[in-house]
Amino acid sequence: MTDAPGGRESFVGVGLRSVHYSHLLSRPRVAVKWFEAISENYMDSEGRPLEVLLKIREDFPVALHGVSLSIGGVEGPRPGYLERLKTLSDRVRPFLVTDHLCFTGAHASNVHDLLPLPYTEEAVATVARNVARAQDALKRQIALENVSSYLSYRESVMTEWEFLVAVARRAGCKILLDVNNAYVSAMNHGFAAEAYVDAVPTELVAQIHLGGYTDTGKFLFDTHSRAPTDPVWALYRRVIGRMPQIPVLIEWDEDVPEWSGLEAQAVKAATIAEEERDRQPA
Amino acid sequence: MTDSPLEILQRRFVRSVTFLSDPDFVKGATGGGTLTPEEAVDVYRKGYPARLTEALGETFEACWRVLGDEDFFAAAAAYIARTPSTSYNLSDYGASFPDFLEGGAAAHLKNSDAPFLGDLARFEWTFKELFHAKPHEGLSAAILAAQARPEAVLRFGGAVRLLSLKHRVHRIWSRDRSDASPLTPPDWTGAETLILYKDEGNPVFVYELTAPEFQALTALAAGRPLQDALASAEGLDAEGAKKLFAFIADAGIVTEVR
Repeated sequence: MTDAPGGRESFVGVGLRSVHYSHLLSRPRVAVKWFEAISENYMDSEGRPLEVLLKIREDFPVALHGVSLSIGGVEGPRPGYLERLKTLSDRVRPFLVTDHLCFTGAHASNVHDLLPLPYTEEAVATVARNVARAQDALKRQIALENVSSYLSYRESVMTEWEFLVAVARRAGCKILLDVNNAYVSAMNHGFAAEAYVDAVPTELVAQIHLGGYTDTGKFLFDTHSRAPTDPVWALYRRVIGRMPQIPVLIEWDEDVPEWSGLEAQAVKAATIAEEERDRQPA
Repeated sequence: MTDSPLEILQRRFVRSVTFLSDPDFVKGATGGGTLTPEEAVDVYRKGYPARLTEALGETFEACWRVLGDEDFFAAAAAYIARTPSTSYNLSDYGASFPDFLEGGAAAHLKNSDAPFLGDLARFEWTFKELFHAKPHEGLSAAILAAQARPEAVLRFGGAVRLLSLKHRVHRIWSRDRSDASPLTPPDWTGAETLILYKDEGNPVFVYELTAPEFQALTALAAGRPLQDALASAEGLDAEGAKKLFAFIADAGIVTEVR
């Protein structure tokens, strides 16, 4: 059982999705190095999904990626959530636990969406307070992912990347840099995606995500329903050139392709990482 | 104590997503791309029922097939409007959907008149719960036979459910699940009693029980001694009791004998 990325090889994984369970359980030779599991799909289940995840874990490193921690919510994580996540984490022994820099509800309602935060001092302080609680409960450092957004707030007083970095530094957590989300938000809100990713310090990044968006004609929508687009690959090349050993993940949640199609995207990400690594001085 | 700006913003945003767009929230937002602020809020507001409908569709797949798309989506929309999601886990959503289908849903259905829908949904919810339940390790048939004295109390494992329904829905549910076309239900009239269980490494098993078998198993599950439980089942003769005990032993649903 391997536990964590290491060495100079690229470390590209894919999201574990139920449509691939049967294929993966036959233990084929695969070109991916690790898997990411959606925490909530396994936290409350003792059924087949967890059984499959634990089987996969026998052969591969795994990261746990949540969607409902609501780290930016003023009420903080929901009662019981962190305890259940800790139990899952103890069983799976992931090399990384991540969630999103957002909030997902208020006053007991959960909207099951990644709602953007305003980029304010109060939001930084709120997230930092919640991260401290989460890291204390989980007994480990976590990483937070920048989200795609379709609106911004007039009350924001800093850029999205300033907010992301301020949160990570204040909270003592890492960043899961989603290159696709940075691109989507840049296009939607009219700033340069390159300025965004360049402003994120390498030492704060624990993982990179790559996914596909849908262009609705009015805005870019983060659907994870297709392969990354050319501009996202170009942005990824720019990022991975600075941090070629950081774990990279291909995310695909809707219209998930056959295993070979998903694997091909992982191979592409690994090839780019290796090309960029080879450009580095020895 | 007054609410902080962040608390107010979050409350207004959530209200805009789950109910009606809050004018003060919209005023403070800027739309992405070429979206107006109102359209940008709409992006989030449309996503909320879509996700909950998808969750209901996954759990209540057979109800969806019986209702067809139009009626299922109408029932889901009406249910979602009155039932906010409170759990962090989407698959927890819909616990009261069976009651809704049995009661208030009728006003929203154009094409369907299916009195068994509540029971079908109840079956599907139970099946989903059992799918996610921790498998127990049942006693082997040999150990159970050796320990099961007349006064013994049999303790069932956690992955066992007994279900008594007013309509025969198991056969509707077990029709070809790979076929998504609208389903014409077989005869569903009459009551049905079922046991659902699973053991380690296996899927969920469903067996139809006779009324006496169900009575006996319910009594056993309630902690009545074996002999009492079997005797309490009206119409369960010696042969039937033997057959039921053999089933209990083979199924591995008993985890402890006291």
